[in-house]
Amino acid sequence: MNVARITLRIAAVVLILFIIIGPLVGIVLWSFAHRWYWPNPIPQEFGLRYWQMVFRQGRILDSLLLSLTIAVIVVGLSLLFAIPAAYGFARYRIPMERVLLVLFLMPQAFPQLPVFINLASIFNRIGLGGNMWGIIFAHTMASLVYSVWIVTATFRSIPMELEQVARNLGASRLKTFFTITLPLAVPGIIASAIFVFLWSLGEFTAAFFIGAPFIQTATVLMYTASMGYNMQIASVIAILLIIPSILFMIIIERYLKAEYLAGMGG
Amino acid sequence: MDEKEKSPVGFLLLIPALMVLLLLYMYPLIRAIALSFTDEMGNFTLANYNKSFDLYARDILYTLGITLVTVGVTFVISILIASYLRFKQWKFLDYMYRLPLFIPFLIVGHAMRIFLAQHGTMNSLLTRIFRIEELPGYSGLWVGLVATFVWVMVPFSTLIILGAFKALDDSYIEAAQNLGSSKWRIIKDILIPLARPSIMVAMVLTFVRTISSITIPLMVGPNNPNMITVDMMFRVNYFSDWRVANALGVISYLIVMVLAIYYLRFMVTERGGLKR
Repeated sequence: MNVARITLRIAAVVLILFIIIGPLVGIVLWSFAHRWYWPNPIPQEFGLRYWQMVFRQGRILDSLLLSLTIAVIVVGLSLLFAIPAAYGFARYRIPMERVLLVLFLMPQAFPQLPVFINLASIFNRIGLGGNMWGIIFAHTMASLVYSVWIVTATFRSIPMELEQVARNLGASRLKTFFTITLPLAVPGIIASAIFVFLWSLGEFTAAFFIGAPFIQTATVLMYTASMGYNMQIASVIAILLIIPSILFMIIIERYLKAEYLAGMGG
Repeated sequence: MDEKEKSPVGFLLLIPALMVLLLLYMYPLIRAIALSFTDEMGNFTLANYNKSFDLYARDILYTLGITLVTVGVTFVISILIASYLRFKQWKFLDYMYRLPLFIPFLIVGHAMRIFLAQHGTMNSLLTRIFRIEELPGYSGLWVGLVATFVWVMVPFSTLIILGAFKALDDSYIEAAQNLGSSKWRIIKDILIPLARPSIMVAMVLTFVRTISSITIPLMVGPNNPNMITVDMMFRVNYFSDWRVANALGVISYLIVMVLAIYYLRFMVTERGGLKR
C-alpha cells in the first residue's frame, strides 16, 4: 500500500512540475540556445551570446530601462494620488463610499482595450502619443485600484485611538498623519507599490497602443521579437520580466487577496 | 470604534484620484461608445454595428465559445485543487498552483508558443520520456489557446475558492463525515453550495479576464477565427477604422455587462469594496 501511495505521489509531483514548470523551461533553454534545430530535444549549441547581446545592444537595454523608469514613476504617481484618497476613505464619512471605491476597480474589471485605444488616439492629438508620459498616465489610472484599495485597508487597520492620543497631546492633524499614521502604514504602502510596479512592468496593451512605434517598452519589444521568431531575444527579456514577479510574490504573500489580484497579468 | 469624521475634507482628499479616473478612464470610455454610434459626419448610425456583425459574427461566437470553455475547465480544476488543499496539507501543491499568479500574460503567451508548438518543448519531452508519437502542435489551435488561458486563470480562481473553503467551519465537514458521506459528496453537497458566492466571483472574473485578453490570443491563438480583441487591434492598426473597433469594444462591454454588474454588486454589498 505504501509503495503504491509513494508512486502515486511521485507521479503527481512530476505531472504538476510538467504543467507548471514545463512552459518556463522552454524559455530558459531558448535564452541560452545558439543553435536549436528540430529534432534535438535540447539546443545543439549553448552559450551566453544572447544574454550578452541584451545587455550590450542599446535598443534592448533602452527598452528595459524605459520599462523600469515608467514603472517607478507610475508607482510614485499612483501613491501620490492614492494616499490622500485612501486616508479620506478610511477616516472620513464619504457619501456613497462603497460605490466610489468600486469605481476604482472599473479599469481592471471591464475590458481595457477599448479604453486604451481611445486614450491612445486622444493622446496622439495632444502630443502624448509615442511619449513616455502617455504610457505613465495610462498606467497610473489603471493601477489606482491597487494603491487605493490596499492603502485604504491599511489605514483602516490602524487604530484611531493612536491618532487621538497624539492629537490630545496637541499635535496637529497633519503632524499626526506624518508621525503616526503614515509610518504605521508603511508595510501596506510597500505592498501596494509592489503590485503597481509589477502590473506596470508587465503591461502590454497601453504601452503598445500609446507608445509604439516610437518608443518600445520591454513587453512591446518582447512581443515584436517573439512574433518575428527571434526566440532567443524574446526569451531573455521574458526571463528578466518574470524574475521580479516570482520574487515579489514571496514577499507579499500576506497581501495575496482576491480583491487585489483581479487585474494581475494583464 | 468607528467614529469617522463628517467633514468635506474627506471628499476633497478623493478629488485628485477621482479626476484621474474621470479624465483618463471615463472620457475615453464615453468616446468609445459615442464613436461607435456615429459616422464620419458625426450623425447617429448603426452602420458600425452592422459592419461588425457582417465581418465578425463568427469571431464573436468563437470568442464566447473559447471563453465559456475556459471558464468550465478552470472551474473543474480549481475546485479539485481547492478541495484537495482543504482536506489535506501539501505545501508543494500550495506553492506550485500559485506560481503563475504574477507572470504577465504576454510572457505566458510567449512561453506557451514555445511549449505547445509542433516541435516545441512539450513534444520533445513527451516523445523522449514516453516514446510516444509526436502530438500535433497546439499553439495556433483553439486547444492551445484554451490551455494557455486555463494555465493563467486557475491560480487566481483557486486562490479565491480555497479561501472560501478554508473559511467554512470544520464542523460541517465532520458532521457529514460522521454520517458516512464520501469526499465527493462533501465537495458537491457542502463545500460548493456554501462557497457559492466566492465561486461565482471567481468564475465571473475568469470570464471577464479571458474575454478581454489580447496578448494571449495574439501569441497562441489561431490566425482565423480570431478573438474580438485581436479584431479590434487589426481594425485600428491596419484599417485605422476606429468606429468599427469601438463598436466591437461596445459589443464586448455588453457581453460582460451582465456578469460585471453581478460582480460589482457583490463587491459593493458583501465586501463593501474591502473587508474591514
